[in-house]
Formats: sequence, C-alpha cells, structure tokens
Amino acid sequence: MSGPVKRRDFLKIMGATGVGGTLAGCDLPSTVTLEEGKEDVVSYFMPEEYVIPGVGVWFASTCMQCTAGCGVHGRIREGRVLKIEGNPDSPVNKGKTCQMGQAGLQGHYNPDRIKEPMMREGGKLSAVTWEKAMGVLKEKTASAGNKVAWFSGTVSGHQSALISNYLDSVGASKNHYTHEIVNSAVWQAVNRDMLGDSMPKLDIENAALVLSFGADFLGTWMSPVHFAGKWAKFRSVSSGPGRGTLIQVESKMSLTGGNADLWVAVRPGSEGAFALGLANYILMSSPEAGNSLSGELKTHIASFDMDTVSKLTGTSQDYIKRVGDALINRSPSLVLAGASVEGHEHGYDAVAAVMLLNVMLGNIGKTIQPSSPSPFQQLEARQGGTRDLVEFSKAATAKEFDVVFFSGANPVFTAPESLGLTKALENTGFKVAISTFPDDTTMQADLVLPLASYIEDWGTHVPAYQGDGNVLSIQQPLMEKLYSGTKGLGDLLLELLKDKNPGQYGAYKDYYAYLQDAIKTMQGSSSVKGREANNKNFWNSTLQAGVINIEGGNKKFALNNVDIKVPVSASDSDYPYYLVPSPRMGLFDGRHANLPWLQESPDQIAKIAWKSWVEIHPSTAKKLGVERGDIIELSSEHGSIEAEVYTMKSIHPDAIAVPLGQGHEEYGRFAKGLGVNPLKILTAKTDRKTGELAMYATRIKAKATGRSEFVRMRGNKTQGGRKFVRTINVDLLKRTEGA
Amino acid sequence: MSLSNILNNWSHYRRGAEEGGHHTYEHRWAMAINLDMCIGCNACSTACYSENNLAVVGREKFDKGQAMHWLRLERYWDEDSAEKEFPDSGAKFLPMMCQQCGSATCEPVCPVAATYHTPDGLNAQVYNRCIGSRYCSNNCPFRVRYFNFYSYYETSWPEPLNLQLNPDITVRDKGVMEKCTFCVQRIRTAQDTAKMADRNIIDGEFTTACAQACPTSAIVFGDTMDADSQVTRLWKKHQVVRHTTKQDKRNPELRGYRIFEELNVDPSIMYLERVRDTEV
Repeated sequence: MSGPVKRRDFLKIMGATGVGGTLAGCDLPSTVTLEEGKEDVVSYFMPEEYVIPGVGVWFASTCMQCTAGCGVHGRIREGRVLKIEGNPDSPVNKGKTCQMGQAGLQGHYNPDRIKEPMMREGGKLSAVTWEKAMGVLKEKTASAGNKVAWFSGTVSGHQSALISNYLDSVGASKNHYTHEIVNSAVWQAVNRDMLGDSMPKLDIENAALVLSFGADFLGTWMSPVHFAGKWAKFRSVSSGPGRGTLIQVESKMSLTGGNADLWVAVRPGSEGAFALGLANYILMSSPEAGNSLSGELKTHIASFDMDTVSKLTGTSQDYIKRVGDALINRSPSLVLAGASVEGHEHGYDAVAAVMLLNVMLGNIGKTIQPSSPSPFQQLEARQGGTRDLVEFSKAATAKEFDVVFFSGANPVFTAPESLGLTKALENTGFKVAISTFPDDTTMQADLVLPLASYIEDWGTHVPAYQGDGNVLSIQQPLMEKLYSGTKGLGDLLLELLKDKNPGQYGAYKDYYAYLQDAIKTMQGSSSVKGREANNKNFWNSTLQAGVINIEGGNKKFALNNVDIKVPVSASDSDYPYYLVPSPRMGLFDGRHANLPWLQESPDQIAKIAWKSWVEIHPSTAKKLGVERGDIIELSSEHGSIEAEVYTMKSIHPDAIAVPLGQGHEEYGRFAKGLGVNPLKILTAKTDRKTGELAMYATRIKAKATGRSEFVRMRGNKTQGGRKFVRTINVDLLKRTEGA
Repeated sequence: MSLSNILNNWSHYRRGAEEGGHHTYEHRWAMAINLDMCIGCNACSTACYSENNLAVVGREKFDKGQAMHWLRLERYWDEDSAEKEFPDSGAKFLPMMCQQCGSATCEPVCPVAATYHTPDGLNAQVYNRCIGSRYCSNNCPFRVRYFNFYSYYETSWPEPLNLQLNPDITVRDKGVMEKCTFCVQRIRTAQDTAKMADRNIIDGEFTTACAQACPTSAIVFGDTMDADSQVTRLWKKHQVVRHTTKQDKRNPELRGYRIFEELNVDPSIMYLERVRDTEV
C-alpha cells in the first residue's frame, strides 16, 4: 500500500467503521498473498489435491436469489458446480433452501448471460473491449463531477461499503438509491418509530397464535427459509406452547395464507380498519389493555365498531369476532403486517394499527424481541424499498444525474408507467448497467458491464433480518468464471475506486485481495466469534464455514406512541376493483422469470405456470360475465393489461390479482414476451408518511374482451371424495402427540 | 431368477404382499411426510429438477399437460368448498411422488421388465430397456410416472445450461418412461462409501434431494430395516405397518396413513395427517 494510511481511513476502506474501540490491533498486513487468488486451468492429469475425478466436493457460499442471505453449499465436480444445498452453519437457513435458491444454478449457466461489455453506438448496443468501456466510463464520471448516482437492489457487506466509498469519493454520498419491489420498508419504519428498532426479532416459534395481515413470511417476506424453519417449531405440538395457530387476513391468498387455520378475505386497503376494529373489540372486553394509549387514539379506535369494520372490510362480523376472540384468549400472540397492508396511502397508519395490537396484547418483549445491533455498521444491509424508486424518478426527471450506475435492480421492469421513469432515463446522460443478464433496464443502458454470476463472485453479505444471531455470510466462487469477459461487482468497484483514490486502493490487485485483508481486519474485533481458535487459519476457516458469527450488542426497545389515522369510510371511484400485484416464491418480483425451473414450477396456490393470469372470485366473474380462460382487460388510469381469467375463491370479490414476474420486454429467451406486468399500470400514489409506493392501492376497471384461451391448471380442485390429504382437528393431535 | 428357481420355490413366490411378500430385502427405503409441516412451497420439486436432470418441457407442451416433475405439489381445496364463499381453512398441499410400492402395480405389466423391484425395495426403471409401452403409467394409481413424448433434452438445456446436469445419472430421450428413484444415485454412493469403510449406512448420513431442501423438514427419508432410523421410529410411533390393506392401529387416532394402501400396493411413503385448528 503506497503512502501512509490513517487508521480511521483504513477502517473505512475495510468497511469496519463503527467498530469503535473493539479492534485489538490496527497493524496493516505487510504482504498480501495474491498467489491464493490466482486462477489457473488445472489439467485432470495433475488434479489439485482436493479434486478427485468423479467425487463431488462441497464449498460454502451465500445465496443471492433474494435478499435473505441464506448460506449455501455448492457441489463441485470436475470444476463444475452441480447442486446447491443449504449451509447448516448459517443461522439464517440452517441447511435448508427454497426453490429460488435451488434454481441459482440456472442463472449461473443461463444461455442468455452477457459475456462482454457493450456500448450504445448509433442507438444500438454493440460489443466493446473492457479497456474502451472503462476508458469511456472514467471519462464520463470525471466530467460528471458529483452528478453521479448508484441505483441498486438491497446490498450489504463490503460491496455496500465500497459503493458508499465510491460515491463519497465523487462527492455524491446521498445518491445511492436502493430499490426492491418486494420489501418491508413501511413495517421497518413503523417499528423504528414505535419500538426504536426497525428489524425486531419475531419469535414465531414461541407464539401460540400468529395473526398475519398479508405478511407472506413463508413465501416472500424478509427471510422465508428462516421463517419456515421457525414455522416447523411453531407447528410442533410437543415444543413451546404446543401447536401454534395461524390466522391470515388478506385480500388474496398467499402461500402463508394457504397454511392458515383461519383465512379471512378482506377488501384491499381495509386491513388497518380490521386491526383497529380488533383493538376496539379487545378494549371492550379488557379496557386495561388500552392504558398506554392516548385519549385521541382511543376515540379513533372507538369509531371502528363492528358494523363499520364489517362494511369497510367486506367481511362478515362473525369472522371479525372469531379473530378478536382468538387474540383475547390465546397468549402469547404475534401480529404481523405485510406488503399488502403497507401498500396504501395510509399504509404507515395501517401497519401502526397492527403493531398497536402487539402493544395492547403485551407481545412486545415476548414474541417481539429487540434485534442485536452489529458492531460493523458499515456492512449492514442497505435495504431497498420503493421510495427510492419514486425519488430517483423525480431526480432523474429533473436531470440531476449525468452518470447512473444500475446494479442488482431492474427499475425499467418494476417502475409503474405513471412514475415517468422511461422519460426520466432519457434525460439521464449516461446509464451504466452492471448486469449478468440482458434485462429490461440493461437493454436501455448506454454502457453494459457484464457481471459475473453470484456463483462466480466474491463478496460478503449481512442478512437484513437476523433472527438467530448476527452473521457475516461469505460469498466465494463455486467455480471458475464461465466467461472471461465478465467481472465481479467487487472488482469493478475496486477499479472505480482505484481511479478516484489510488493511494488507498491501489495496492489491491483485486477484490479477493481486498476481501482477504478486510476479513483479517475483522479478526481483530472482539465481536467476532471463534477468531482465537485457529488464528492463523482464520481466512481459510472462514471460507470453509461460509459464515463469520458476530457477537451483536444488546438493545432495548424505546416504546413510543405514533399517530394513527385510518380512513373510516371507503372511497368511491369509477374504478370499482383493486389491483393486487401479487408476488410469489418462485418468480418473485420477476427477477427469476429467466430460470426455466421456476417458470415451470406452478404457482403454489393457482397451480398455473409459464404465463400471466387474472385471479378473480367466481362471484366477480359472474358479475363481469366471464369464465375461466376468457381474456379480460384490466384498466387503471394509467393503462391497461390483458390476461386470461382464472376464478378462485381464495380472493376477495373486490380484489383482482395479477401475479408478478411476467411481462418482460427483455430478459432472455425464457422470459421475454411472456405474460403481462401488472406493475406497469399502477397509480403512482405513495404512502403519506414514508413515501413508499402504494402498490396495492391502484383502482381498476375490468371488462371482458370476448376472446378466450385455454388455461391449464395442474391437478384437481378437490379430492373427489377420496382422502389423499386427510385433515384432523388440533384437539386430536394434542391427545395423541401432545407433550 | 431361473425357471428352476421359480418352480422349486413356487409357494414362496406366490406369497402376496399381505402375507409379507416374497422379496428378501437388504434395505427398505421409505419416507414419512408430515402434511402439517408441509407448506407447499415447491422447494422439494425444484431440488428434484436440479438433482435428477429433469427436463423442462416449455410453455406449449406444459399447456398440453406434459411436465416431468417427478415430485409434484398437489393443491386441494376443502370438500365443502363448492358451498363456501371462501376457503377459510387454507389450502391442502400434498407432495406426490413415486411411492416405491412393495407390490407395485407398475412392475408386473411391463412387457420388457424395464420396471422392476430392486433388493432395497425401489421400483426401478431401466431406461435402456424401456420400449415406451406406457403400461406402467396407465397402471399407476398415483400418476407419478412421466413419459418422454419428445426429446425434451433438445430444448431443455441450451448451452451452457447442460453443464449443470448431474453426471451421476442419465438424461432421458424420447420414448422412455421415467420416475422418482428416491435419489438412487445418492443411495448407491452412500452404500459404496459405507462398504469401503466396512460399516453399515448410518441413518442421516445422506438423504434425498427433496428431504434435504425441505425448509420445514416435513420429509423424512430413511431405511425401515434400520430399527433405529428416524423414519422407522416415525412409522412405529404412528403404528403404520407394511403388508396390509388396512391399518389395524392400537390407537386409531394416530396420524399416519398411506395413500391407496387399500389397493394392496403397499406404498413406502407414510403421510401424517394435516391438522387444522377449528376452534378459531
């Protein structure tokens, strides 16, 4: 490393600020062994020690198919990675995987990957050399000054630190936009305000009752595999408080809803009213539950009587009472709010109303526990939401950026037309897409830098939700790069930083060398578990385990009251229905539409694959005069889409659901031109308090087109009187298997 | 199995499944699937695609009813769903794959003995021998045999997707029947490893791809001839026995059952009943 580097700078470079005084020593490592990072082609005649032809070897890494950060093992044979399994050492997924994690291999080996840099010349993207690409990029960024922005998905670990450091180095620190269409941003905002902790631990396994308002924690919410593990304990009759009961309140049945003991359909946007109605119901039977509430709030709650709530939610009073009685009689409980509660103009208030139930029922400190703050704040996940998409669209429309980097996000696909992002991107001088696939955003970029797949790249990741201990999850290549023309994200960032700050980053040959140093720096922190045991081999043992366990600090909740105002009347509109753009585990937010395994894996509830469809309740279908297979046109104020009708009872009659994931205009052979994208016709309303996109608030009209198409559903609706799946009552289970 | 052997041991080979059958097993691979744990997430199914080189048929052929998912997730609604406005007790999920029957209906109908019974109780399929008569598939009450109507491999793995293919097993071509094997390649690897180390297979040292992936550990795989294996303990706990068409349980309230055992097929998968709390 050339020139003296101050300790403070060193920590920042290493992504270790926030460590405080916990570093044992701050000596710079004098040499960096680059030999270990060398890439050689190894002949089978002289295999490396660990390569035995015909025998699989397992290496640990981190899954990047969603933002949960599960640890994985990859099976490598003859230099190819063949199978992904969960890493039992990761506290996130404990050896398990979901289908998206399994399908990571199809992203890696995808035939539509970008293999070389491309630049827009004469309106068309054409291949260029890395030298030319980086030359142009450096030129553009040099002249852009601080008019540079970085638009990414959720990022964490050292890549996140380097993005921040890069933006700092050009004086554009504020211009990092993180965007995820599937997120829990409002939930976090409410928790931050009410509990002083945006990501509290949710003790599902020790709850007797979970009441979930649209939180699809088994499918798409926060950390599905982690919660599925908790679910197994929650449902176990012999542990904790016995088999827990799940009540799911939502307008379209999610995977979690499919597993509910009681599933209640509500009108979209009325979940907050439902929650306050329950609060009212609880206060009537036990007024002391409202001791901490302000008088104003109590008055607001009192306006949600049974009649009003039943009318607002479009749900029978019987259901509301049943849910209320369950909450009163079963303790400890846990009440959750998911994306469909958040996605309205009063989304924050609705989520706060849900959290209020937790406060009133005494769940805070029981089933909702404080998170452990990590000593490595700079590595923490920068979680995406939709506010940054809205803000970015505004800023780009105002021509605030000359250079924008896109990595790990596909805003051209996820942004509603009404945000005007397409126009805004035209106003952006130079768009750089760092991408593995030719997705919708990448194909509109001016410069495309081919990214190595996550299976070929180095990195570190901090899961956003850490239920069972803090961890830094290591991402290491599971095989050599398929295409020599691709680069890792860390390598690219380092190259950009070397250009701006050669004194500090110049000594690192590559990201591997940087990471090795960074991990060794962490070894100096007393918060890192197991660092003493095998001191010299810390790096190797870290790679072997795939995770670094970190001692998190202790935190206490700081309870606050927040204002809650949920609309007491439903708004009328010329558009009678609500559009539910429903994500599912599998295609997720559309990022997995190019993986054939996931395309061919049917929707868990509808059992349809390879297409888009419109889910409506049979009573709505009757009203509209359509049947299964008829093509229906859905129009909002901002456009219309068409798809085949599929009638299901697992949806509220006022809701019309269109699954997310299809409708890509680009994205390779498996995804392109398949189905429709409901996000396109969303109205760009936002939540009043957080500015997050009101994703579930779009009103639509529906009209039959007179055309129809065949919809293949897998399997049958009922068992035809036969008993393939037999069901018993929980009492019987308690009698036979209870503790 | 020579003719003289059959003639000499006629009475032995005549023994039906309910009398214990005529097989002498080395292992007896089996499963226990807890339907109250199964969340219907499809992780098992995709894990199976990854492990067993299952072809993707593509949109058009999928619409025609083809698919090679050896393990599929069935979803049912309540029997009274026709009268109800909403399915208010959720959905019913059922992971359905080959039940590796003890007296499988698919085996005796194969004109070329491409499907046969292995000494460890699997209904094996010899792809090289299969002539595609599809009798086995017609005879399977579980509908878990999948026929290669086309050379799916031609479109399923455009390069370099083919690099992911598991070299431990084959890719099947047009005209061949295929099915769940209980990840026979993993079984054989474990057997070889144990043999080299001069020991028996240890319960839990390997498992099938579906069981390994399952986020809730709803699927338990193992050897029912190993008295201490987890799967044996579960079968015993739920008083489910083989070689019967009707379980005669001391405690009939226990959850274990086998689908279609009344057909005398002797399935090797025990399901545990789904549970719902009807009090709420």
